[in-house]
Amino acid sequence: MTTAARLRITGGTVYDPANGVDGVVRDVCIEGERIVADLPSGVPRLDARGMIVMPGGVDIHAHVAGSSVNHARRLLPEEHAADPVPGDAIRRSGTGGTLPSTFVTGYRYAGLGYTTAMEAAVAPLAARHAHAELDDTPILDSGCFVLLGNDDYLLRQIATGEATRARDYAGWLLGVTRGYAIKIVNPGGVARWKGGGSERNVTGLDDPVGSSAVTPRKILETLAGAANALALPHPVHVHCNNLGQAGNAATTLESMQAVAGQRAHFTHLQFHSYGGARGKEWKSAARDVIEYVNSHPEVSVDVGQVMFGAATTVTADSPVEYLLHSSTGRKWVNVDIELETGCGIVPYAYKEKAAVAALQWAVGLELFLLARDPWRVALSTDHPNGGTFLSYPQLIRLLMDRAYRDDRLKGVNQKLLAGSALLDGLAREYTLSEIVIITRAGPARLLGLTSKGHLAPGADADVTIYANEPDRAKMFATPRHVLKAGTLVVEDGQLRRAPAGRRLSVRPEHDRAVTRDLKRFFDDYACVSFENYGAEPVA
Amino acid sequence: MTSGRTVAHVTCLGCGCACDDITVVVERDRIASLVNACPLGQTWFGDGTVPEESRVKGRAGSLQRALTEATKLLTGAKRPLIYVAADVSCEAQREAVAIADRLRAALDTWAGGSAAGGVLAAQRRGRAGATLGEIRQRADVIVFWAVDPADRYPRYASRYAVEPRGLEAPEGRKSRTVIAVDVGPSRGPDDADTRVTIAPEDEVDALGVMRATVQNRWGEDDARFQPAAELARRLMQPRYVALVADGEPGPAPSDPDRAEALVALAQALNGPTRCALSTLRGGGNRAGAEQVLTWQTGFPCAVDFARGYPEYRPHGGGAAALVATGEVDAALVVGAAASVPEGIARGLGRVPTVVIGPRASAAPFPAAVAIDTGVAGIHEGGLAFRMDDVPLPLRPVLAGPRAAAATIHALREALEP
Repeated sequence: MTTAARLRITGGTVYDPANGVDGVVRDVCIEGERIVADLPSGVPRLDARGMIVMPGGVDIHAHVAGSSVNHARRLLPEEHAADPVPGDAIRRSGTGGTLPSTFVTGYRYAGLGYTTAMEAAVAPLAARHAHAELDDTPILDSGCFVLLGNDDYLLRQIATGEATRARDYAGWLLGVTRGYAIKIVNPGGVARWKGGGSERNVTGLDDPVGSSAVTPRKILETLAGAANALALPHPVHVHCNNLGQAGNAATTLESMQAVAGQRAHFTHLQFHSYGGARGKEWKSAARDVIEYVNSHPEVSVDVGQVMFGAATTVTADSPVEYLLHSSTGRKWVNVDIELETGCGIVPYAYKEKAAVAALQWAVGLELFLLARDPWRVALSTDHPNGGTFLSYPQLIRLLMDRAYRDDRLKGVNQKLLAGSALLDGLAREYTLSEIVIITRAGPARLLGLTSKGHLAPGADADVTIYANEPDRAKMFATPRHVLKAGTLVVEDGQLRRAPAGRRLSVRPEHDRAVTRDLKRFFDDYACVSFENYGAEPVA
Repeated sequence: MTSGRTVAHVTCLGCGCACDDITVVVERDRIASLVNACPLGQTWFGDGTVPEESRVKGRAGSLQRALTEATKLLTGAKRPLIYVAADVSCEAQREAVAIADRLRAALDTWAGGSAAGGVLAAQRRGRAGATLGEIRQRADVIVFWAVDPADRYPRYASRYAVEPRGLEAPEGRKSRTVIAVDVGPSRGPDDADTRVTIAPEDEVDALGVMRATVQNRWGEDDARFQPAAELARRLMQPRYVALVADGEPGPAPSDPDRAEALVALAQALNGPTRCALSTLRGGGNRAGAEQVLTWQTGFPCAVDFARGYPEYRPHGGGAAALVATGEVDAALVVGAAASVPEGIARGLGRVPTVVIGPRASAAPFPAAVAIDTGVAGIHEGGLAFRMDDVPLPLRPVLAGPRAAAATIHALREALEP
């Protein structure tokens, strides 16, 4: 092989907040797949004068691949028919909509300047499927958050007070599924939904789940402790109980308090920051929730912003989807996944004129605008639940441009906005550097991806170069150039190359003795051989 | 003499149950015996011998020559059809879709035929489902709707739905009530605890009555539908109902109205109780084809790339119609030629066809090019899906001909401009 490809990106205005670089004109040098300190003169140059240079985007929470996503794709042929994507010499053809085909997912993320995305909900039983889809999702580096917290084996360990075994099990599971982090969805609630009978969900942190010793609180404590004890790069990633319910901010704050003092990430916080009470009027409780986050440095969040337009709700929180199906009458997928988790899907649309959708939109913006530490508040729409990743540029403009935001605010249903900080007037405008933090540097740091989200020597050569457009939505929607691991994938606004991405996974140290007990459990209850479980190659 | 070797935890693709607890004993490069395999599995594995030929116009030739001929034939076609048949891994299916994309071909699978009714119903309404293991854990009432799984899914009852003990069914069969619904000659299992008989012409209406009963909308006193209404009331009582129906009751496309009525009933039962519809599907990794097509194109079957992007054509009769009308002028079958439904096989006899898959050289229709490959799960590994969309690894037990995935990949490379 010849020496690794070299490139000097010259004259761009560099935003690299992880290294204290805030809009400084300087060169960025790339050798092979990495950023390097310098290169000899005479290497190929990419002229970035007048342009803005930043690390590639990192999506900390999206639903892009695997069993649930494919169930949702299969449910929505009409969306795909409406958004065909032709192939060419570089690209495979495909379809878009709220759940694009795998190839289109990779191309469209790269087309926004994103080079990493985490698949946020992988049932361990279906991990092999998620990896197969990610193998067909070009360009993006990706990792899988593995669903725990409603799985019968774990609940048994909690019931019998076996916290150490629970930790070893979590470590084992992440390894065999080639996972990256522990994801908890509605702890205990999905287990109740699957158990049948009259208790179809949990309502709070102390509801018993099967055994009085098992509660959502206990599940959170056990798994947050496990993630920390296993020294995972990303802490436990929590989707709280009572998603979407009026008054759920109380549950959210209780959940945060339950794991106080331990690192924990609370996802799509917008869907968990409502005041009011069940069955009564909703209101924003964003102020209370983000105030807790502001004052607790061990807590991080992503927002899960709602954007007006088409969405698809797809989640392991299957009891919530039953309610959404019942209230909207729209088509609905439910799949109970053996011994582990659930899957629910309902197509949805957020309308400016709908009171609840307008409240959700406002709550998300409040969380962003009232957050004091952007390093712990990542940008997300919980794609495709609150809107698709294609709406990120619009969201960025809402955060950076108060006049635009206030104008949009006038057009939404005001019924439930009384008392919200947004209606009272929030003057804050995100700086470009702050946007770089919430879309790249922050998520990378929260994920423990030390070679991503920044441009210091040794970092992955994932770089996005934007034209400095005053309309930030336009700017972020159409990068001029995108490099992924040193390969120029987008050049002059056109996708030129689509190399395969890499998989990010962990293999935590744990006591292997746990597999003896696990094998017994498999022998007694499982319908897949222990030896075939997970996502590692066999034979 | 050579002593046998055993391979454990092998996944069987003999039917959609995809039992992954098979132990294969190999002696002298043949499968000598199988542990845990049902009669369908015994037939599917056989002794593991498969032909290893490459044929061009019926004459044996080198693999290279066969690939060259296949390339010529397919690039020369104006309207090629790619048909994904049974017994190939998802890796091979992915290559087949890539070729269809490159050639702007029509692409179909088994799902575009007999299972199409269920696919379309699920797209209109969604699904109320569960993986098979969850039915084992939870179901206290199991309704076999016009199907006895013993016939085409022999271990369904012993491995999943009925007999094994589960978390909420500590005594296995004894913890469950089995209800057979007999619809004409399509009968539920003989050993059911209760039977209900429904006339075939009333089936879809009866399902509608049941749904209306569950939703408290059925007030009529039509004696004809009393048994159905009664059954529905009964199904509202248990903790977790499994409704089991055949997704591929015959070679003809399944009735979409019936499929939709089953989904709608299962969904409605999730009001008063919990319910999962288990749709029985055949083997050979056809569930995998549906998954791969969906993630690569957005559509589960009946995809047409003629315009350079995937379009969904589920109502035109799929591959069977394309070959019957003479619309296609060349075809590529990826998978076991013997699994191609008869109507399509007849049509394929009339156009130049390339077959790459297990026993291609013994295709039951004339093949211009035939390249034998191994059988996924016997000679080659990879990924496959159970009927309930659970992914499973395949474990090769014998060395065999060149792998299907690698062969189709080679063809794909040859087709690149």
